[in-house]
Formats: sequence, C-alpha cells, structure tokens
Amino acid sequence: MSDVASIIKDIKDISTTILKKDITIVKGFSERQVEAIAKQTVIITEGVASGDIDEELKKFFFDGLKAMTENFVNTLKGILSVTLEKLYNALVDKLWSIVGSVV
Amino acid sequence: MKLTLKKRFLPWVLCAAVLSLSSCKTQLAPEYDKAIVAGLTDATQKTMYFFATMEEGTTAETYTDRALSYNQLIGAYDALSLQAKARPVPDNVATKKINELLQSKGSDPLSSDYPSAFAFTKISETLKKMREVDQTGGIKPFALLAFKGQVLIFLDQAITYESFLKR
Repeated sequence: MSDVASIIKDIKDISTTILKKDITIVKGFSERQVEAIAKQTVIITEGVASGDIDEELKKFFFDGLKAMTENFVNTLKGILSVTLEKLYNALVDKLWSIVGSVV
Repeated sequence: MKLTLKKRFLPWVLCAAVLSLSSCKTQLAPEYDKAIVAGLTDATQKTMYFFATMEEGTTAETYTDRALSYNQLIGAYDALSLQAKARPVPDNVATKKINELLQSKGSDPLSSDYPSAFAFTKISETLKKMREVDQTGGIKPFALLAFKGQVLIFLDQAITYESFLKR
C-alpha cells in the first residue's frame, strides 16, 4: 500500500524526468533560433548597405524576420503542449496504478 | 448470495476501471508522422545540396540549370505543408481548460495551427521568391545568404517540432 510520502516522491520523480529531458531540447532549440535570427538580421543589414539587397527584397526579408519570430514562439508553444501531455498522462498512469493496486 | 453478486459484478467493475483509466489519457498535440519526418529529411538534404551548388551567388544566364531543382523543392515543401495540415487537431476538454487558464493569465492560447506546416509554407514562399530573383537578374551574395538563412531557420522550427511529436 502506497503512503502519501511515496506518492509525492513518485510524482516528483516522474515530473523531473520528463521536464529535465524536454527542457534540454527546448533550451538547445531556443539558443539556436535566437542566434540564427540575430545573424539573419545582420546579414540583411549588411546586404542592404552593400546594395546586394534592394528595397523590394528588404521588405521581403523583414516580413520573413517577423514570420520566423512568430513561428519560433508558436513552435515553443507546440513543444509545451507535448510536454504537458506527456506529464499529464504519466501522472494519470501513476495515480491510476496506485488506485488500481487496491481495487 | 452476497458473494455470488460480487463475483457476478466483478468483471463489470474491472471494465469500468479500465475504461475510466483510458478515458483519463489526453492528447494535446498531433500524432508523430513517420512519413512527414522522412519527407522532411529528404527535402532538407536536397535543399542543403542546392544551396551548396551556388555559394557565390548566381547569374540569370545560368538560371535554366537550376530551374528543375527550384520546382522540385517547392513541390516537396508544398506537399509537406499539405501533409502536416491534414492531421486532425486535438480538440478536447484538457486543451480547452489549458487555453482558458492561459487566457485568464493574459497569455495567448496554445496555437491551433501546426508550426511545422507554417514553416513549410514559408520555405516554399522563400524558394519561389528566390527563383523569381534568380530568373530576372541573378542572386547577389548577401541576398543568397539571407535566402539561405531564412530557409534554415524555418527548417529548424519544422524539424524540432516534428521530431518532438515522437513521445
């Protein structure tokens, strides 16, 4: 029979395992994206200054910067949905296995 | 008599327990799709190869050498966008509750659009613009770097999201 302390420990262990793994992925992705978007901004600025990027292309790339930034946030939200789902289902599984063990 | 009744109802009790257990599971994001990831891997390799063939920029005179590659890549990303959008969006009580909570805290709700489908559409649009510039006067070095950068950023978003769906 499980006691409250062991249930709390189980829940903490499950949460930690899932969150640790997913946060590592999110951190890596976020760092890559922020660096790449910053580099892209510099490339566009240098391209405009050198004349390689004209007015029409400048607008196209600025719109691109806006879209990629919005989608970066939406990708993080999408990843968060998966993490929440994994966490929720793992906790429900654990709690039901405890309840099931006494039925 | 009491014992007989208990025995008779035991399977029903167990069934109810199993059903309630399964109904408690939730899905907040779409299923992982092996075909999309395989298509994405293939398109990524071809895109990287394509960019590697024109590192110093291009001229309109040699555009015809690249026309087929542009068309193939644009077709591949349009197909991936369709495939990604075709998956049903999970719509359940848990999603609604989370969105209500996020909105009550002043945050935007979880997106109902797939970030990968958006990224595929943007990559296709970028390649179309690149084709237009290439065809009309060639692509200068900084413009090429900016096209490549834009494609790679959207590719990273799509690859990360689609891979993450594998629970």
